[in-house]
Amino acid sequence: MNRVRILLATAGIAVLTGLWFAFISPVDRLQGEFSRILNLHAPFMWVAFLAFGVTAFASIMWLIRRTLRWDRLAVASVELGVVFTATGLFTGMVWGQAVWGRAWDWADPRMASTAVMFFVYIGYLALRRAIPDPEMRAKRSALLGAIAVIQVPLVYFSVNLFRSLHQTQSIRPDGATMPREMLTALLVNFVAITYLYFALLVGRLHLARLEEASAAETARGPDAVTPPRLSEVKDV
Amino acid sequence: MLSPDDTSLVGSNTILEGAGASLGGRSILHGLDVEISPGQVLGVAGPNGAGKTTLLRLLATLISPDQGSGFVLGARLGSPDVYDVRRFIGLMSHTPVVIAELTIRENLEHAARLRGEDPKRIDTALRVVGLAGAAETRGDACSFGMLRRTEAARLLITRPRLLLLDEAFSGLDVDAQELIDALIRRTIEQEGAVVMVSHDEAHLIDRAARVMTLSAGRLETVT
Amino acid sequence: MSFWAQAVEIARVDLRVERRLGDILRVVLPFAVVGLLVFPLALGVDLSAISLIGPAVFWAVGILFGMQVALRQAAHDNRERRDLYALLGVDPAARFVGRTISGSVLMVGFLVVLLAAMIVLYSPRLPEGWPIPVIVGLFLTAVGLTELGTLAGEVTAGLRNRTALASLIIVPLALPLVIGGSQTLESLARDTGILPWLLLLVATDLALAVAGVAMARPLEEASR
Repeated sequence: MNRVRILLATAGIAVLTGLWFAFISPVDRLQGEFSRILNLHAPFMWVAFLAFGVTAFASIMWLIRRTLRWDRLAVASVELGVVFTATGLFTGMVWGQAVWGRAWDWADPRMASTAVMFFVYIGYLALRRAIPDPEMRAKRSALLGAIAVIQVPLVYFSVNLFRSLHQTQSIRPDGATMPREMLTALLVNFVAITYLYFALLVGRLHLARLEEASAAETARGPDAVTPPRLSEVKDV
Repeated sequence: MLSPDDTSLVGSNTILEGAGASLGGRSILHGLDVEISPGQVLGVAGPNGAGKTTLLRLLATLISPDQGSGFVLGARLGSPDVYDVRRFIGLMSHTPVVIAELTIRENLEHAARLRGEDPKRIDTALRVVGLAGAAETRGDACSFGMLRRTEAARLLITRPRLLLLDEAFSGLDVDAQELIDALIRRTIEQEGAVVMVSHDEAHLIDRAARVMTLSAGRLETVT
Repeated sequence: MSFWAQAVEIARVDLRVERRLGDILRVVLPFAVVGLLVFPLALGVDLSAISLIGPAVFWAVGILFGMQVALRQAAHDNRERRDLYALLGVDPAARFVGRTISGSVLMVGFLVVLLAAMIVLYSPRLPEGWPIPVIVGLFLTAVGLTELGTLAGEVTAGLRNRTALASLIIVPLALPLVIGGSQTLESLARDTGILPWLLLLVATDLALAVAGVAMARPLEEASR
């Protein structure tokens, strides 16, 4: 538990550092102050992709090894991925409303495909809740988790495949398309939010282990059931 | 509307006269003549499909006879009077009935609130049935025995005047069986009546003053 | 326990069960929002058309997925549980009212969130002063839809294909609710008076309430 606390505390410091960089970096000439939102929006979406990639990896490992810890990792990462996707969508909508004049743009394939990806993983979580048997739950989730990741490259490259309002990648193999100071702020936030994801993932895994231990304790029902006190029946 | 402790029901017999009942268009019970007096334990034995469960549901006023007539705790079957007496009837079905998403304690609280019973009796009931340590266990995490004990606790709280038990001893350990016996004894001591159904006559012979045998919906012998 | 106390107790436990199961929040609501996404993707990128159809799509998706909210109790209901409530002395009419109360709370929440999602996704042109009349219309529609769902659940109790049958009963009977709800907004936009439509909703809700309470006992007896 101490390890988790330390990780979360340092992640908090990292995020605050990233926010500070976001506030002191120069702004885009056309977007103004709203360009600062991108220091959160892009990292959140990147981490969402990472989270779903981790889920796919853990799902495949479960299918190979059939050990509980891979299932635990897969679902913890999906939970975080869903939260980060929702935050990424929200920050994107705020930015879109400010810069494009509309929060949602159907002409943007990345927006629509991200929303679809979000709901597929919501469905993953709903599927898990519907299956009480742990083995069957892990198996079906693993199959879905391994397949659903195909959406990640589709979402990422949708801005290249379709002409849209959404800007294309700012960081490319041949260099970045933004000034150094803005790039620094963006990269600091990428690192900070990624670290936040790992800290939350470790925390969530720890919580999952505690939940399983608690469930096992409750399942040991016979210890909690005592012989009836027949002489006290008349007292009820 | 009768109050929970209306003693005018004490001494009211339960009678079926030439009663028959159908379910889903199929005739299940035919020409039954049964009288159950307060303080009596009646056993009903018979093979699967004989109509034992349907008989209990008829006595619980949950279905109406389509032949003959009947009175349960003074209320004519099929009349609106049954709504007044249902609260004095307790039924332990073949499968325990609890709300799976609620804990054992919450299930009992729900029943006690609906009946206007004193909630303090819940703790006593839980202790008596041996579930005080498992009171916060959800229904869907309980074993069969725990669910049966929860039902027993509910019946201890609601104090039925007519207790109906459908294969209540099936699948229970010795402790739980003794609990059901204690429930039966208390009902009798309080001038109530008990009707027990089982496919195992041995369960009935030790406990019931009279044993009926049902076969294909008809009363064949009374021992 | 009095009639209303029984109804409130039934509603309280029903909401607690739903909080633990999370069917509405985790399953029905997300997929209703997916339903909202389907129409524009099928229509293509015609922003003015998308903006125009937004309210209509909201009502269509709201009713179709709202049926799942209205019928969720039927999914957990069985003969043994109905018998238990009967032998605890619960008036069937109180059970109907209790389920309507809890179902309406969930349905209002569901429709409000769906409305917010529609506004974000479709950017509809909404008339001045729209929130209060629309929320009132939405509330009345939610209550009516819940009453319909509870009634349909009782009518189909114990039958095979219960959920499909109940849906078949609800959809045509829900038309006055859809009309009343959607026309409230239309009338506001055309400035032609919303009162007749709100009265239609109130009348429908009252009629369903009276029907539900009056038919509760016969329906319970018929389900055995």
